[in-house]
Amino acid sequence: MGLRPGARAYRGLVSAMSEPVTAGDAAAGRRSALRRLFSYIARNKRYYGVWFATTLVYTLGFVALPRLVGWTYAAHEQGLGADEIVRRAKWIALVAVLTAGVRFFSRTLVFNAAREIEYEIRDDLFAQLEKLPRSFYFEWRTGDIMSRCVNDVNAIRLLLGVGLLNVISTPILYFGALGVMFSMNPVLTLWVVAPYPLFMLVARTFGRGIHHWSLLVQEGLGDLSNSLQESIAGIAVVKAYAMEGVTARRFEKTNQELYRRQLGIARAVASMPAIVGLLPAMAMFVVLLVGGQMIVDEQMKPSEFITFTMYIYQLTFPTFLMGWVVALVQRGAASMQRIDELLSIEPSIADGPDTAAVAALRGEIEFRNLRFTYPGSGGDPVLADLDLHVPAGTTLGVVGPVGSGKSTLVSLIPRLFELDDGQLLIDGVDVNRIPLRVLRSNIAMVPQEAFLFSMTLADNVAFGLPRTENDAVVRASERAQLAKDVAELPHGYETVVGERGVMLSGGQRQRTALARALALDPRILILDDTLSAVDAETEAAIRRELDVVFRGRTVVVVSSRVSAVRNADRIVVLDAGRIVEAGRHAELVAEGGLYARLAREQAAERGA
Amino acid sequence: MSASEARSSATEAMHEEEALGKAYDGRLLLRLWRYVAPYRWQVALTLGLIVPLFLVEIAPAWIIKVGLNGAIGEVQERPTRLDQWLEPVSGVLDAPAGLDPLWWLAGLYLVSALLYSGLQYVNMYVMARTGQAAMRDLRRDVFEHIQKLHLGFFDRYPVGRLVTRCTNDVENVAEMFSSGIVALVGDLLRMLGFAAILFLEDATLALLTLLVVPPLAVVALVFRFKVRAAYRLVRVRIARINAYIQENVTGMREVQLFTREERIRAEFDEMNSAHRDAWFMSIRYDSGLFAVVELAQSLTVAIILWRATGLASAGTIYLFIDLLRRFFMPLRDLSAKYSVMQSSMASAERIFQLLDTEPDIEDRRDALALGERTAAPSGVVEFENVWFAYSGEPQDEADWVLRDVSFRVAAGERIALVGPTGAGKTSVLKLLTRLYEPVRGRILLDGVDLRDYTQDHLRRRVAMVLQDVFLFSGSIFENIALDRDDIDAARVAQVAHAVQAHRFVEALPDGYASEVRERGSNFSAGQRQLLSFARALAHGADVIVLDEATSSIDAETEALVQQGLHTLMEGRTALVVAHRLSTIEDVDRIYVLESGAIVEHGSHAELMTRHGLYERLYHLQYETQQRSPTAAA
Repeated sequence: MGLRPGARAYRGLVSAMSEPVTAGDAAAGRRSALRRLFSYIARNKRYYGVWFATTLVYTLGFVALPRLVGWTYAAHEQGLGADEIVRRAKWIALVAVLTAGVRFFSRTLVFNAAREIEYEIRDDLFAQLEKLPRSFYFEWRTGDIMSRCVNDVNAIRLLLGVGLLNVISTPILYFGALGVMFSMNPVLTLWVVAPYPLFMLVARTFGRGIHHWSLLVQEGLGDLSNSLQESIAGIAVVKAYAMEGVTARRFEKTNQELYRRQLGIARAVASMPAIVGLLPAMAMFVVLLVGGQMIVDEQMKPSEFITFTMYIYQLTFPTFLMGWVVALVQRGAASMQRIDELLSIEPSIADGPDTAAVAALRGEIEFRNLRFTYPGSGGDPVLADLDLHVPAGTTLGVVGPVGSGKSTLVSLIPRLFELDDGQLLIDGVDVNRIPLRVLRSNIAMVPQEAFLFSMTLADNVAFGLPRTENDAVVRASERAQLAKDVAELPHGYETVVGERGVMLSGGQRQRTALARALALDPRILILDDTLSAVDAETEAAIRRELDVVFRGRTVVVVSSRVSAVRNADRIVVLDAGRIVEAGRHAELVAEGGLYARLAREQAAERGA
Repeated sequence: MSASEARSSATEAMHEEEALGKAYDGRLLLRLWRYVAPYRWQVALTLGLIVPLFLVEIAPAWIIKVGLNGAIGEVQERPTRLDQWLEPVSGVLDAPAGLDPLWWLAGLYLVSALLYSGLQYVNMYVMARTGQAAMRDLRRDVFEHIQKLHLGFFDRYPVGRLVTRCTNDVENVAEMFSSGIVALVGDLLRMLGFAAILFLEDATLALLTLLVVPPLAVVALVFRFKVRAAYRLVRVRIARINAYIQENVTGMREVQLFTREERIRAEFDEMNSAHRDAWFMSIRYDSGLFAVVELAQSLTVAIILWRATGLASAGTIYLFIDLLRRFFMPLRDLSAKYSVMQSSMASAERIFQLLDTEPDIEDRRDALALGERTAAPSGVVEFENVWFAYSGEPQDEADWVLRDVSFRVAAGERIALVGPTGAGKTSVLKLLTRLYEPVRGRILLDGVDLRDYTQDHLRRRVAMVLQDVFLFSGSIFENIALDRDDIDAARVAQVAHAVQAHRFVEALPDGYASEVRERGSNFSAGQRQLLSFARALAHGADVIVLDEATSSIDAETEALVQQGLHTLMEGRTALVVAHRLSTIEDVDRIYVLESGAIVEHGSHAELMTRHGLYERLYHLQYETQQRSPTAAA
């Protein structure tokens, strides 16, 4: 069996998906991402403005405290009385209270701002996802989209919260603390500060190490869940072929690898506090040596010594965090770029400036010299040289072998894909000029493998209605032969159908999808191989109902079975994306072409 | 499972994932200990390190105190109690002759600081390693247990939740080792230690400074409860948001087709802002706690200076400032550690619940293993008065899926099972492969009860081809051989040839080494079926059990599939569940099932003359194919 055109197109698509989605100009990408990030920050400038002011005040207090401690102790050295000492100690308490108060506001503000922006980005992402066409969902895997909505949004939040907090406040803190230290004792300050820059580098290396290992662990967890997911989804095969031992061995391999990576991250994480401790140790070593000598030589007072040690400990943590924050900022920047990439995609299917003022449709469909190629499929057209006219109120049957382009053809009618060549007219108006809302609310389509949402059955049936109305739901369900099943469900129409409708059988799912379409009362109804999992008796009943429903509407019925379309007003036969035959059933059978062959084969298969 | 059960289990599941659990549960900890026990020497090491760690942590402060006092030349009038206690070891601080005492002290300081860093590293690493090793073992147990559970379990338990048990939940429990219980206990011990040292140094001063602790503890407690409530909300809301995105991304075609974008966007915004607001609340308390701890720390410094300046030595003041800083540090992330404990406990509970689920079907101790066959295997299948229901002996008569089903299939015979949807056809197959067991009656293979075979044995002899062909990610070769050593490349090529799968496989660039994507999504339904036939054929079973596919395949592939089927069934006992009657006219016998009971049997021709259910079904199906689908106009 050779690959059919549809299958070939599919493989092209698969290979296109495995390549990076965009290469593009990296620098331009970064610029655009930065612009977007700043626009979010600018939108929240009130938050950040107040925060910056409080940070300055906080730094002031933070720097003042050690100095005040030294000042208080100096009162003793200068022989000032106990009253003066108490007065100075009160100043410490006062500054401490103020600093803590400011600290509270400052932290709250910056973290709230980060959450606010997280919220805005997530809303924007969701709104963007709603606008993107099918072709986007063909190119992008769900996992990739989810990872941007979850992981990358998180990374940006960290960048804007902890990241920004440290990037802005640490230098200010340094500036203040070092200034004070320098004014007290320049020589000792130089000695003490010497190891700090080196330390920042060390911290950065370790930050990267942790980042590296955490990515590996994430990946390992991903592999583990994939392996699990597969073994569980295929549990029937695993059991039927007694493969438990084999899958357990496979699992153990991933499990062991995950363990190895987790040890890696454990090593990196464990070394962090050890290193954080080393910096003040080195600085204190210097203070003991140099400062101690100065005290012995009476060039320095014990109060200064105490102040210095306090500054050393105060600067340690922000210094260390800086190393960490650099990694955080880098990651956040990369994430912003990934999000920007998604947000920058121009929705190719949207109302444009030349949209016509169409308010209702009659249902006439016309394809003119249409040619369609899936994006990224390598240029093999799925549909070519297609001319087809369906008068309003008539029924069109579309048949052809698997992969001949039937489903593609019908998904063009509600504009799920962009047309790339040729024209599609509805009521004589170019489909691209009809307002999307009008177009889609006049068309109801039951796609192959329809998707149901994890809401109640009634809500699913009323999915396209402005609100869930019982009468409409019941009427549509009756027409789709779903009503009698509903009676057997314990909560009737209020039964939650579960994720993707798992609580329903395949046939019930298809009938729910049909009811959902019928509830719309559309001008154009498209049925794409809709009843494959419905049993024979029910199918017969549905067809009887549909005969009534179809009256006066334009209907397009797609099937790989000749029997499903034989009574259509007109039948077109597709092969490799082209219309090879067209006419009524009897004419096509008489013609003795592909249609006749399919009819014969399918009849033989049925023992008819 | 009925929908009501589904619904209640869905809400139950929601609650289950949302539960935070107690921070401490002795029963759970005891069970967890069983996984830690193999690594008890590592645990002993971390426990043994607690005291040395504490000593090297406080040593630097002591050294500086002594050095500072020495440098100032301040001679204390009376040594503090700490000095008296440390009298025996204070000799170390005296520099050996000829060495600058400052250099000696600074050197000692550096050595103890380095020792502290080193020991801390060892301690943390060993702790994390113990946790991860235990969790690796737990994960292995969970996986092996999942595999043992019977199929009915998987109908009720969504795959995603099982994956969560093995990944997130186990990770959560591991957290407890690295930053939960052990760190919590360690922190408490250290704080007690610091307090003790301070009391020894200057009891009055220690009492005064530590006075800030009780009010601080109250504030911390209050904040902790608030944070906990807020955090719980956050978790619930973010889970909803992500599930919502996932669902709508997957169903975006429907959202767009039914122009529901605006409504969904509004719903999403509601969830999204609720999540943000929960965070605002959580941030407020978290920042509050931070600020309060910082305040307490600064206030103690003020107290020290107020009370001690001029009275105590500079060294004592340094010691107080240094140790109090260490004392307050753990308080800052106490609430974080507490919530780690809570979520670990909840996760542990969920994991053990899963591990407590009994596997329904296990081998009997004296079961016949492969190779211990009593008689020559031939493939005779007998059902003797089999009654079956998915939930065991049912309350309601109507819940029986099979009622008193008896039939015999001789070796090499082919039979078909037909009947309306829900008649119990597929259940017969599942019983024969012992994926489920009969409630009453028994099933025999070559005269031996299925329960007397090991599952391994049985499954090598009975090959099942399912309606839903499941392909694993891996190569085509692996998917046919299923990791059995005795199936080599030649055998795989041979079976693929036999079922006509070789044509499309060999057309692929990598032939049998070609990659099968997850769930075989890069192959058509027909191709997947052919591969599953090859798989069944390669395993050389005596009995073939087949659930015919209902999915629409184009005529050309269907012809191939039919041929492949014939090859597969040749010379074997075969039971086929047929959905399309036309495909089974040449079987030896047809059993017609209705509501779980056999109502007719015989050959196609015989059944057609009987004018019963079979004939009705046959005509109905035939007519449907011929009837008008679209009688418009």
